[in-house]
Amino acid sequence: MIKFDNIAFKYSENGQDILHDVNFTLKRGSYHFLSGQSGSGKTSLMSLMYLGHMPTSGQITMFGKKVNMLERDELSKLRQNIGVMFQDFRLLNHLSTFDNVALPLRISNRPEKEVKDHVNELIDWVGLGKHKTDLPPTLSGGQQQRIAIARAVIARPKLLLADEPTGNLDDKIGFRLMGLFEQLNRMGTTIVIATHNQKIIEQFGHPCLSLVDGTLEASPSNKIAQKIRNVF
Amino acid sequence: MFSKIKKLYSQALKYLGFRDYDLPLNQSEDSRFLILLVGLMSFLAVLAFSGTFALNDMTSRWSSGLENKVTIEVPVETKEGHLLSNRTVNKETKKLASKLENNPIIKSVKILSHEEIQELISPWIGKDLTLNDIPLPGLIAVELRRSDSKSLDMLKANVKAISKYAQLETHHEWLGSLISFANTLKTLALFIALIIGGATVTAIIAGVRTRLAIHCKEVELLHHMGASDDYISRQFQRHSMILAFKGSVFGTLSGLFIMGIIVMLSNGSGGSLIPAIEISYMAVLFILAIPAIAALIAMVASRFTVLHSLQEMP
Repeated sequence: MIKFDNIAFKYSENGQDILHDVNFTLKRGSYHFLSGQSGSGKTSLMSLMYLGHMPTSGQITMFGKKVNMLERDELSKLRQNIGVMFQDFRLLNHLSTFDNVALPLRISNRPEKEVKDHVNELIDWVGLGKHKTDLPPTLSGGQQQRIAIARAVIARPKLLLADEPTGNLDDKIGFRLMGLFEQLNRMGTTIVIATHNQKIIEQFGHPCLSLVDGTLEASPSNKIAQKIRNVF
Repeated sequence: MFSKIKKLYSQALKYLGFRDYDLPLNQSEDSRFLILLVGLMSFLAVLAFSGTFALNDMTSRWSSGLENKVTIEVPVETKEGHLLSNRTVNKETKKLASKLENNPIIKSVKILSHEEIQELISPWIGKDLTLNDIPLPGLIAVELRRSDSKSLDMLKANVKAISKYAQLETHHEWLGSLISFANTLKTLALFIALIIGGATVTAIIAGVRTRLAIHCKEVELLHHMGASDDYISRQFQRHSMILAFKGSVFGTLSGLFIMGIIVMLSNGSGGSLIPAIEISYMAVLFILAIPAIAALIAMVASRFTVLHSLQEMP
């Protein structure tokens, strides 16, 4: 379903390779953790996965389509199938909670009635029902994170990418959030979560993609957890 | 008060189905500058177009008013420098008029009365001065059936044969120069309007680029969420269009107000040296369309600028 073939990536023509020889395949409905030390290329790999950048060389195949063969409009449509939860949330501060969450549905031109129904339901579900008209800067970090989660999942994406989603949350809420990802995964969403949280990696036991010096190796989650323990 | 109107306006827009921009475009400080700039450009455009229309109207009035018309003058002074008496001038004038009346190339002949001559020269010497003691030339307004050179040559020969003093004034020479001058002014006014349009487009493009730079992170976010180039550009298009329309309405109405004053002043001068300026209803309608034209230009300029800039994203 998602295939990276010999991917290399650098930000500028004369720059250093951030990623090289990256090869992996994620099956539909799979669940992976992505780990690696700071500077290992985790953010760049996530960026390639949500098509924020194009690889310098190699071939990405997503949902059965070769990405470098697609027109701009087709790429936009492909991106609509990917939900991203950024580490810094990237909420639009001038938009209300409701409008932030509604954004992916509006981008994909869903009817406004459908937008209202779905968004209201999800905002209530993440516990922000009383803050629908509030602007993100007036909310706490945890509440902002919930908006980011709701926005990432509102359009029922085929692929959900989350960058350190439990970073700002206490353990209880963090595990509850992971429970939400589990539910989405059971509904068929492919999930990739970039995290340093070894507790979570251990507890959920999903396969882990480990980035070391810009290249990737797949390992069972417990081995990676051991590696991370050794690093920190 | 202003914030209440703004709130009502935004509620009305929401009620009509318009929602806030996904991008924080309304928070950009350059919005007011763009409104002011487009307002000023529209004001200048109104003056330039009004000038063009007024000149157009004036030249057509001159042309149509003097078409087929010539004036025969019996001067008070002969070529040799002798002064003719009023009696001689009147006699020569009447003789010419009566003989020309039956000429087949001539449609009508009219001797201008002293009052009419006085009216003609009053802008130069004033109305209070009595002309009884001043020798005045005899003037005959002649309308030809056709204004070709053959008719004019025939008329010249006839006039020469009837009176040795009379001279023919065809108006063509000075009218041609005047119309040519007016046409040059018209071209200049249109050129100025073109420069104004170009400057407006440049300002809009610069404004859009600035807003793209200010909100690059938000634009990037929409792009990553799957917003098409068209979706993103529509936000900028709508914003620029509304700003340009607001500014242009203000500028156009101000321009029309000033033009109204100029037209009133020119008409109130009572046929003196300044010709009466007239602007037709069609011209006013065209000028009233300037805000719509400005909004359209802003929309198109924004679209192309945003689409071009978005090409840099993968």
